[in-house]
Amino acid sequence: MNYDRLVNTAADMGNLLIENGAEISRAEESMRRFFSAYGEAAGEVFAIPTFISVSVSTPDGRPITAIRRIPVRRVNMDRVERANDLCRRICRTKPDFDAIEREMHRISSLPTFPFWAQTVAFALVAAAFTLFYGGNASDACVAFLCGAAIKPVWRLLDHFRVNQFFIYIAASFVPAAIALLFAHFDVALSYDKITIGALMNLVPGIAITDFMRDIIAGDMIAGVLRFVESILVAAGIAIGAGIALTATRTLLGV
Amino acid sequence: MEYMACLWSFFACAAFGLIYNMRGKTLMLASLGGALGWFVYLLLNFVHNDIFQFFIATVATAIYSEIMARILKKPATEFQIVALLPMVPGGGIFYTMDYCVIGNNQMFLQTGLHTLGIAGALAMGILLVSSLFRIGSRPESVNSAVACGSKRHFFH
Repeated sequence: MNYDRLVNTAADMGNLLIENGAEISRAEESMRRFFSAYGEAAGEVFAIPTFISVSVSTPDGRPITAIRRIPVRRVNMDRVERANDLCRRICRTKPDFDAIEREMHRISSLPTFPFWAQTVAFALVAAAFTLFYGGNASDACVAFLCGAAIKPVWRLLDHFRVNQFFIYIAASFVPAAIALLFAHFDVALSYDKITIGALMNLVPGIAITDFMRDIIAGDMIAGVLRFVESILVAAGIAIGAGIALTATRTLLGV
Repeated sequence: MEYMACLWSFFACAAFGLIYNMRGKTLMLASLGGALGWFVYLLLNFVHNDIFQFFIATVATAIYSEIMARILKKPATEFQIVALLPMVPGGGIFYTMDYCVIGNNQMFLQTGLHTLGIAGALAMGILLVSSLFRIGSRPESVNSAVACGSKRHFFH
């Protein structure tokens, strides 16, 4: 048994899952099952949303440990799903490590939707949520524009490696400002519904849903981390929209 | 007419699923969960207590997500994250911030606490359903797990 590769592959597996938005308990369970599939049930794993540590002891008592730092997390449910399937397959068929690594590499290089499609998706989310919150058709059209503005702003700031908190502030400022400008020139528009619809794009859905699931599963640190993350993101969104509101009220006297 | 909101929540969830890179049947069924949640919320309109309505609607979507996850053998979070979105109190957060900016402290506190209540209802709903669906899956202590071999089921 090549213990170095065993540990590395397990860590990569956990990395793949957490990086794409899986719960901590799922990642830990997958790594644990991976170890038991290869006859190392005593392998220890520990993960929080930013960090993974994996360790096994070789038969001669030498501990082998691998850690992975996860600086950026996205939400890519397609990859989580495939990684989950791969994990089940590994436990059934126990393929060799080369095959697993090839498969993991294939999953992590699967195409995502192109930039324009994501922009359209953001715009559609904004329009649909504006209608959902009781806006009318013209509100939805403005929300479509506001939503479409979020993705380019995000991408630009991401390109310059701006920190996450500031990205949220900027990405909520821009659509709110657009909504308020439109509402300034067309009083019939309800700026609140447009802004709420557009800002639903930024809501940390994954943090809100996963923090409870993590805490239930006993991963207290992960749960608290995600809770703090969701509070910070909500604060960032509120600050961005708040700046837009104050600025337009002061400058335009709405 | 009120029930049109279910349709919009379906579309909103479907578009959000695209952002999360979901495809095909999963995307459709997860969005249906979002519509179902809001339908349950509206059905319970007669109780005139929206925190209670949010709680029951969350429980309904969570049960739906867990069942779909078991049928399709896919992670339950996938359904839950998308289906829960219409219930996230985006409006509450916005109005709280709005009152804060205006300086209307009384309404700020009132809306803020109400929003927190809704968020709490969502969290409690998920907690209840996930716990019920995962009875028997708590990791054993390390030593006993080694001794009896790992017989835990894959959770969804």
